[in-house]
Amino acid sequence: MANGSPIQPKRVEEALKPLTRRTFLKGTAATMAGVAGLVSALRPLLSLERGEITMDELLQKHYSQLKPEDMQHILGVLEKKCEREYGVKPDIRDIKPLAGVQFGYALSLTKCIGCRKCAHACMAENNQSRDYDDDVNMSYIRVLELAKGSINVETSDHYYTGEVPKKDKYYMPVQCHQCQESPCTKACPVQATWMEPDGVVTVDYNWCIGCRYCMAACPYDARRFNFKKPTIGEQAINPNQSYLSNRIRPKGVVEKCTFCLHRTREGKYPACLEVCPTGARVFGNLLDPASEINYILKNKRVYILKEDAGTVPKFYYYFD
Amino acid sequence: MNQPPALFPASRRRILRRWSCALAALVATGVCLWAAEKLVLPKVSKPEPAQPKIGLDTDKHLDKTPPRQTKGLDLVKMGWTYDCNECHKLIEPKWHYDGRPMVEHEQVKLNHGNNRFCLNCHSAKNHNVFVDYDGSEIKQQDVVQLCARCHGTTYRDWQHGAHGRTNGHWDKSKGEQTQLRCIQCHDPHDPAYKPILTLRAPDYPARAAGSAHSSQPETAKH
Repeated sequence: MANGSPIQPKRVEEALKPLTRRTFLKGTAATMAGVAGLVSALRPLLSLERGEITMDELLQKHYSQLKPEDMQHILGVLEKKCEREYGVKPDIRDIKPLAGVQFGYALSLTKCIGCRKCAHACMAENNQSRDYDDDVNMSYIRVLELAKGSINVETSDHYYTGEVPKKDKYYMPVQCHQCQESPCTKACPVQATWMEPDGVVTVDYNWCIGCRYCMAACPYDARRFNFKKPTIGEQAINPNQSYLSNRIRPKGVVEKCTFCLHRTREGKYPACLEVCPTGARVFGNLLDPASEINYILKNKRVYILKEDAGTVPKFYYYFD
Repeated sequence: MNQPPALFPASRRRILRRWSCALAALVATGVCLWAAEKLVLPKVSKPEPAQPKIGLDTDKHLDKTPPRQTKGLDLVKMGWTYDCNECHKLIEPKWHYDGRPMVEHEQVKLNHGNNRFCLNCHSAKNHNVFVDYDGSEIKQQDVVQLCARCHGTTYRDWQHGAHGRTNGHWDKSKGEQTQLRCIQCHDPHDPAYKPILTLRAPDYPARAAGSAHSSQPETAKH
């Protein structure tokens, strides 16, 4: 600086203070903190030793950089791991998006009766924990019971029971809206979640670090966190799995609805639609003018949940 | 004791007894056959309506039961065979039952809005089929066409896959697609959708920003 005082060199006594009790304790505390930090940073190696993760998973590259042969290797490792831990050898594939396809979903608020069949089919299809009664908390679908006359999710109830539909209520299942402007993917610090070319927002469970920023960012509360290893009986496991959707997740990662991409990318309907007893759910290709979903968007009154959030969802509610 | 003299010698008697036994057996068989023929039920002229296939065979883990199993003909399922015309060639069909209890078809409680007349849908001439506006017949398996007579907009939606459930493949080039028909969800005599018991609520993780339902109330399980 032009008019600043010139830097005075430190005096020797100041620079080399004698080691007092205070500085010694400070230094020791700092060193201990550093060591503790280092140990916790190396913790993943402990789980490596315990066999919870493999070296392949630890050294894996990002999904976008994986070559097909790398992916084949990873899938083999995952299949073996599932067989070892759950006793079932699944068929895990890495299904690529179809060209010329944008998935869209429509749900009739007039028809839905709130029976929750979709929420349970979701768990059966996507290999979520449901071995114990108090361990059924990962369904991607949350059916809200709302009072007729307004759409106010603040006063909604998702723990209603008994006979449905109730006279003065209507029902709104909420799941991932696969937003075009998805806040969750923007929040991810490690690019473990992204939107695929067919519009489905996916999570690479091997890449997710479990920080849950995406869950905080999602306005639809559509993401779930694996606080523990999923518990599923051998019989309950759906062996038709894919890398980005319903393969059994490890502990400590975030998961979400993928429109059942292991089904829909093979031309099938998602599981929640397959079981809906009222036909309230309609699924299809938004780019196909003759599709069912386009018929809904053209001919029905469509409502977008939290449209003002600017997320541009590909999940539409409609009225008949 | 002095036996009375036999009519026939012993050898003839034995032969006679054998023959009379055979004759009795023959008569008994004849009677049985005659009775059996009398007991045979009328001919099958109305086959059991087959349950159309729903969805894919690979989805065993998904419960795709339609809301209303088409009961079809319960009597047929029990092994009875009948033809609606067996009775109705004798019984003159009535347009309207005035709310008086019916002796036959007493399980039918007609609650279909303004549609209060049996013969609006059922053919007066041939009771195995339904009837169109112009009196032409609608076959039982084409029941959708019958409903479409009045519910045109719903039928249009159904044709486009926007009413009722479609199962199987959204991409028809990749596989088959099945669509539920009207009567698999709606009872034609009482078409309003009936309330059902909801499945148990999964436990949803509490949101960080405490909402009114951040903890699970006790009523959640059943």
